[in-house]
Amino acid sequence: MLLISKYFHGNLIKVVTWFFGVLAIGAIVFPQDAQALPSFARQTGQNCVACHAGGQFPELTPYGRMFKMTGYTIGERTLPLSVMGVVNSASISNPPDGTAKNGEVVFATGSLFLAGKITDNIGAFAQVTYDNFAVDNGDGSFSGHSNADNIDVRFANRIITGKQDWIYGLSLNNNPSVSDPWNSAAAWMSYVPAASLSSHSFTDPTTPYPGFGAGGNIAGLSAYLFWNQTVYAELGSYRTADQAFSFMSAGIDDASKTKLNGNNNPYWRLALSHEWGPHNLMVGTSGMIAHVFDAGTDVSDPANLGQYRNTGVDAQYQYILEPHTITAQLAYMRQETAYSDNSIITAAGDVGLTDTTYMSRAKVSYVYHAKYGGSLAYFNSTGSTSVIQTTDPSTNGMTFEAFWIPKQNIRVGAQYTAYNKYQGATDNYDGVGRNASDNNTLFLYAWFAY
Amino acid sequence: MKFSPITLSLSLALLGAGCSNIEHSRSLGDPRVSAKTLAEQVCSNCHGVDGNSISPAFPRLAGQQPAYIVSQLTNFRSHQRLDPPGSEYMWGLSRHMTEEQITGLGAYYSKQEPHRVSSRDVDPKLLAAGKEIFENGVPAENVIACVACHGPKGQGIEAFPRLAFQHSNYILRQLDVFQNTQGRPGTPMDAVVHPLTSENKEAIAAYLQAFPD
Repeated sequence: MLLISKYFHGNLIKVVTWFFGVLAIGAIVFPQDAQALPSFARQTGQNCVACHAGGQFPELTPYGRMFKMTGYTIGERTLPLSVMGVVNSASISNPPDGTAKNGEVVFATGSLFLAGKITDNIGAFAQVTYDNFAVDNGDGSFSGHSNADNIDVRFANRIITGKQDWIYGLSLNNNPSVSDPWNSAAAWMSYVPAASLSSHSFTDPTTPYPGFGAGGNIAGLSAYLFWNQTVYAELGSYRTADQAFSFMSAGIDDASKTKLNGNNNPYWRLALSHEWGPHNLMVGTSGMIAHVFDAGTDVSDPANLGQYRNTGVDAQYQYILEPHTITAQLAYMRQETAYSDNSIITAAGDVGLTDTTYMSRAKVSYVYHAKYGGSLAYFNSTGSTSVIQTTDPSTNGMTFEAFWIPKQNIRVGAQYTAYNKYQGATDNYDGVGRNASDNNTLFLYAWFAY
Repeated sequence: MKFSPITLSLSLALLGAGCSNIEHSRSLGDPRVSAKTLAEQVCSNCHGVDGNSISPAFPRLAGQQPAYIVSQLTNFRSHQRLDPPGSEYMWGLSRHMTEEQITGLGAYYSKQEPHRVSSRDVDPKLLAAGKEIFENGVPAENVIACVACHGPKGQGIEAFPRLAFQHSNYILRQLDVFQNTQGRPGTPMDAVVHPLTSENKEAIAAYLQAFPD
């Protein structure tokens, strides 16, 4: 609390001005009687709260999950365009030298969505994201850049009778688990986007999240099945997002693009779901084996090829009954990294060198009347070190959050991320006196969608 | 050809989807989609395919009076029903429903078998108090008996809805809407529920959900 007081003391006028400025802009842009709904809401004519638990996008309700699994095809075709933007401020407790925009209010990111029903069986969710600070020009200025973000194009069908309910489909997507309907999945647990600014380097989205080593902007096709709203199974495989699939990595230069070996990079997901009264629970597991070339290397040389082997377990519980929405999420991911022969040779490591990391996260959130909410999250990362993984991955801490949803498409929030351990130590983790708590960060945000 | 499994699967999916799929459509603006298909593909997500919803956030429609379903869908469509869950969920879904689809949905749900909701832990005194109000009203407060309009088995009569086995939480929320808001105009319920106390409402809701034989 002392640290929070310290931030506010220095920036109180700025924060208050910013806060009321955001509200004023919101009132002008989103007047009370406007049908200010993003494209999916326009398609069904429903309020955001129908699909998003307590209105806290992107977390889905049971109905929102069915909307997604049935291929975004409920409703009527409409203008499939939406935009969102995040204005925020990140204040690091003890900013490292050269930290840019610490404590300053910035327009961090914006996204354009092409999302909606295409046919009775096909729908799409495609996002292009603009990072306002993508390139540091070195003179205190920054240049923005856009690239393809999450893409999920689906074919879905549903055969339902009194006794049997089969939902099945295909998802062409560019991020393992972006096709997943539960928000404890790797692609969806982190939700407030952050800019690439150095002042944002310790905010919640940059803390350890259980994810897949292959990352995003790769091309995959998965087949999925949801039987009797109980068993969910998905199986897919990924490849480099090039040739016909290059739109899935659009805006990313070739040297930075993730290059996978061939088409055999399997992804799998199995989940059990149960709903009773206002409660619903999912327990699941997922995994992926990705053969990835070292960044910027010759992809014709197998000695540049490494491998990520991920195995995850996750669970999500929701209680949704007005005026209360409660969500509890747990996620754990084991990642074994088998390094390429060339990177082992370069680092003078032993043949067959691997490293393993274990990432876990628990989060509980509560929303009252789809208006006022808060969350508490614990994150923990541990793992091995080697001549290649020289930084100790042991990092843990907590993120506290309070937010307000004045209108269904605006969220204003404050997150405080406190580190107990960072890169292996609580005190002096870098050997020159920097402590984990020096990275504690207050992150204020206003998030709009239209 | 590289990546042939993906290309082949996508081609097949696109070919299959190119044709209209009215039997399994989730289209809300297409008058060709039957009420049965709408009930199965869309309404079932919240109300259950047989109208026995799991979550008390959504009313149970199994065995409901068809005239009542028709009147409510019509009121959602014309925005005459204003309670928040109604407007947030149902205005959009009903906005382009045809008369035929609305009538068909009424018929579909009226034919479904209503299932009893588990009420194992309900206080017997609460049930007894609810039964008393249901059968005899609260004469001292001029509250008429529910049975007069909703039938001796809570089965509803024409535009008066079935109440037996309805989620108690849903009943409570609707009683609050009638008592405290203008969200559902044009029914006699505003006047009927006006004198009810919180204890009365809790008892009625518990009794209607359990509706013991």
